[in-house]
Amino acid sequence: MVHLVLYFKELIDNMTTYVLKTLWRHRTRTLLTVTGAAVAMFVFCFVSSVQAGLQRLTAGADANQTLIVFQENRFCPTTSRLPEDYARQIQKVPGVRDVMPIQVWTNNCRASLDIVVFNGAAPEMIQNTRPLKLIDGDWQAFTAQRDAAIIGRNVAQRRGLAAGDTFSIGELSVQIAGVFSSSIPSEENLIYTSLEYLQYAPGLDAAGVVTQHEVRLESDVDPDRVAKEIDQVLRAGAVATKTRRKGAFQANTLSDLIDLIRFAHWLGYACVGLVLSLVATTTVMSVQDRIKEYAVLQTIGLRPLRTMRLVLAESLLLCVTGGVVGTGLALLALAWGGFAIGAEGATIAFRPSLELAFSGTLVSLVVGIVAGMAPAIQAATVPLVDALRDA
Amino acid sequence: MALVELRGVTKRFSKGDEVITPLDQVDLDIEAGEFLSLMGPSGTGKSTLLNLVSGIDRPEAGTIVVDGTEVTGLSRSKLADWRAVNLGYIFQTHNLLPVLTAYENVELPTLLLKLSSTQRRQRVELALEAVGLSDRAHYYPRQLSGGQEQRVGIARAIVAHPKVVVADEPTGSLDVETSAQIQILLQRLNTELNITMLMVTHDRDVASAASRRLTLDRGKFLTAAETVTAG
Repeated sequence: MVHLVLYFKELIDNMTTYVLKTLWRHRTRTLLTVTGAAVAMFVFCFVSSVQAGLQRLTAGADANQTLIVFQENRFCPTTSRLPEDYARQIQKVPGVRDVMPIQVWTNNCRASLDIVVFNGAAPEMIQNTRPLKLIDGDWQAFTAQRDAAIIGRNVAQRRGLAAGDTFSIGELSVQIAGVFSSSIPSEENLIYTSLEYLQYAPGLDAAGVVTQHEVRLESDVDPDRVAKEIDQVLRAGAVATKTRRKGAFQANTLSDLIDLIRFAHWLGYACVGLVLSLVATTTVMSVQDRIKEYAVLQTIGLRPLRTMRLVLAESLLLCVTGGVVGTGLALLALAWGGFAIGAEGATIAFRPSLELAFSGTLVSLVVGIVAGMAPAIQAATVPLVDALRDA
Repeated sequence: MALVELRGVTKRFSKGDEVITPLDQVDLDIEAGEFLSLMGPSGTGKSTLLNLVSGIDRPEAGTIVVDGTEVTGLSRSKLADWRAVNLGYIFQTHNLLPVLTAYENVELPTLLLKLSSTQRRQRVELALEAVGLSDRAHYYPRQLSGGQEQRVGIARAIVAHPKVVVADEPTGSLDVETSAQIQILLQRLNTELNITMLMVTHDRDVASAASRRLTLDRGKFLTAAETVTAG
C-alpha cells in the first residue's frame, strides 16, 4: 500500500491539486465512471472467487493424495451403496494409510446455490483427518450424542444456525454441537454427523451401507496405482467400485458446473474490458475537453512526459478507486454471504482471499494505465501552437 | 551580446497548394532589460515570431539564441525545461486553469522548479503583490474580472523569475481602461524588475509602453520610414 501511495506521489509530482480538482470539477462524470468500474470489478472478483474455489477443490494436495471409492457407474450420492466392511479390505492394500467410510446425504442432486450436504463418519476419524477448528460448541458434545452434528460456518451463516440449535431437513433432524471453520473452504459447506446416525435415520435404509470410502495414502505411493488395486481387490465383492483421486472425483461430479464456471470466467474478462473501455472513454473525453490546458501547461514548462503522467494519474485514480471499491465490496459480500454452489454432494465455496484482493487491485492498476495511455500520448504530443489557437 | 538573437529565421506554412511565409530571413536582437513591442497587420507573423522565441514552434531555417542557448536545437522535452526556467508567457486570453485558484495558477511554474515550499510561497506572494492581487489569491478565475485574470496571467509569467517574458496581445480582450492599467503594469515590471519583454500588440497606446517598437509586414521588419508610411 505504501508503495502504491509513493507510486502515485511520484506519478503526479506536485500537481496533485490539479488532478484532484479536475476530477472533482466533473464529479458526475467521475462518479459514474468510478461506479461503473466498481460494479465491473465486483463481478470480476466474484467470478474469480468461483474459479479459485474450483481450483482449490480439484487441485489441492488433499485432492491428489486422497482417493474416493464410489459405486461404479453411479453419480448422485443417494445411488451409491457400498458395503461398510469394504473398508477392511481397502485397508490391506499396500500404500493405504487409513480408510474412512462416509455416508453422504444431500437435499438436492442437481446444481444449487443452497445445497445441504451431510457427511456421516466416525467422529474420531473426522477429528483426525479433517483440518477443522471449532469456533463455537465442543467436540465432546458431538462425540457423545448420536444425532449431534457439527456444521461448517458457511452453512451456519446461510441458515442462521448456532451451537445448541436443532436443524431439521427432510427426514433428518440433528442437534448442532458446534460450528467449525476449515483451511479447505469447501469443507465449510458440510454438516458432519456420526456414521450411525445417517445409516439408521428414518427413511434412509442404509444399515451396513455407506456412500463412499475415503482413502488416505502414504506420501510416497502412486495414487492411480493404488486406485486400480482397490478396484481389483473389490471386484469379487457384491458391488463393483470405481476409485479415483479425490480431485478427479469432484471434477467429474461437478463436470456440468465446471463448464459453466469456465464460461463465466470469460464474463470476468468481459468485465475487465468494460472497465477499460469506460475509463478510456472518460479519459479521452476529459483530455479532448482540456487539450488547451495541457498546451498551456507545456508552454509554461511542463515536460511532455509529465503531461502524460498527469493524464495517467487521472485514469489510474478513476480505475483504482472503482477497482478497490468493487473488489472490497466483493470481498465483503463473499465473507458475509458464505456462498457456495454444489451438485451431487460436492460443493464449491466462494471465499474472499488476499490473492483476490491483490489481483483485483493489480487488474485495476493495469487497466488504469492501459486506458489512459492513448489520451496521455495525445495530450503530450499535441502541437502547442494549434492547441492554443484553436481550442 | 544581445539576450535574444534571431538570425535568418524563416517560417513557412502550407495552406492547400499555397505556401505562406510569415517570416522570411528575419534578423533581430533584443538586449537584456529591453521592452520591445511588435506591431503590424494581422497575419504578418508577429505571433509566429513570438512562438518561435518561446520555443513552442520551430522555424524552417535560421537560429534563435536566448542567453547563449540555441533554442532551435533543443528537443521538445528540453525546450519545456528551458521554458520553465527562462521564459514567461502572457496569453491574450489569460488561459488560467479554471479549477485552480489565482494563487494555484501563479504557483504552477514554481512547481516545475527545484524550490522548497517556503520559497514557492514567497515567490507566489511576491508575484501576486506585484500585480496588486494579494487580496484575490484564493479567488477562482470565474470570480475575477477580465483585467484581474490578465494580471494573474502576468503574475504567472513572472513568478519563476524568467530571463524573457513574451506577451501575445496582452490587452487584446480587455476594455480601454483595463488595457491602460495592464500597459502601466508591464512597463513597471520592465523598469522595476528589469524583465526583458517582447510584446505583440495591435494597440498603439499599449505599444508606447515599450522602449523599442518594431513593425512587421509580409515577413520583414519595416524601417522607421516605412513604419511611418505604413502607419
